[in-house]
Amino acid sequence: MAEPEDDLEVSRRYRELGREEPPSALDARIVAEARCAAETHPASLVAPTGRRRWYFPVAAAAVIVLAVAVTVQLEREQRPDAEAAPPSAPAPELNKDSQTAARPAEPKAPAPAADMAEMRADRQEAGSAAGAPAARAPMQPRNLSSAESAARELERIARLRTEGKHDEADRALAEFRKRYPNYRIPQEMLKRVERR
Amino acid sequence: MEAPDEALMLAYGGGDAGAFEILYARHRGALFRFVLRGVKQRALAEELYQEIWMRVIEARHGYSPTARFTTWLYTIAHHRLVDHWRRRELAVAADSDVAELSAGAASDPARQAEARESLARFARALEALPHAQREAFLLHEEAGLTAMEIAAVTGSETEAVKSRLRYAVAKLKAAIDHG
Repeated sequence: MAEPEDDLEVSRRYRELGREEPPSALDARIVAEARCAAETHPASLVAPTGRRRWYFPVAAAAVIVLAVAVTVQLEREQRPDAEAAPPSAPAPELNKDSQTAARPAEPKAPAPAADMAEMRADRQEAGSAAGAPAARAPMQPRNLSSAESAARELERIARLRTEGKHDEADRALAEFRKRYPNYRIPQEMLKRVERR
Repeated sequence: MEAPDEALMLAYGGGDAGAFEILYARHRGALFRFVLRGVKQRALAEELYQEIWMRVIEARHGYSPTARFTTWLYTIAHHRLVDHWRRRELAVAADSDVAELSAGAASDPARQAEARESLARFARALEALPHAQREAFLLHEEAGLTAMEIAAVTGSETEAVKSRLRYAVAKLKAAIDHG
């Protein structure tokens, strides 16, 4: 500690000036403040300085970017589902050139019985096959039901023909064609429901 | 073996209030005298002294022992005093209460008076030193800092600090010799 500028006489005389100390009340205040800070506030009381200054803005920016990215990703994940889900599973025998396909209010044309069986098979396959499009299965029951009712109606008309109730069968067939304008009646069924 | 100051400060940063108390007890007297003789007004010295310790408390998490704790502590004190000096021009006090306190030991009234006068002259010489010289002298005497450490605390060149110390000691010695 000895410096070339040290002078023992000067140091001794300086010591004689007195050994003043802070008042004990001030000591108590400072120690209490230190204790309180240590116990109640583990985080820093001073604003970050120097190299730590950039931590908070960067952390805040990272959180915002992450939040936006997650939101966008969630939206993207939801959109393909909505797009993948067909507005309604089209009946296999619908006329392709029909404009009514664009009219959502109208009931969908039902499939004939033969096609119905095919659709049921498809549905079973869809249910069992791994990797089958999940969106398709929930949409099928409604269309099948519509196709089934059309098939049932055609069966009823065919029964009317066999029973000789041709006028009633004609009216029912006209009504059927009005209700299901796009429904293509299979040739076999056509022979049974049309007047000969 | 006593825990070093740096370890105590780190412990305090980790929430050990007892470590602060030990640290405080070690440095309270010297730091107080450094401030008191820097500003020469007791009430103001107490205020500044408390502020310095508050800054130590606030900075406890950011403390890293890259240098001696004493150097770090007196750097805070130096900055606080510089702030004070910038705001206020210090007047050199003509009389000194401290001289009376310490000179009363002599038994002979004539020698007692002489000793009192000698000490008062020394106190005046100390107070009359330029800020930089007085600060360098006080950092050396009270905090026990080397010229290099004083340079680090005050942001000066080591050679400049040595020069300030030389001038300060020469003036104080002259005040003693001319008694």
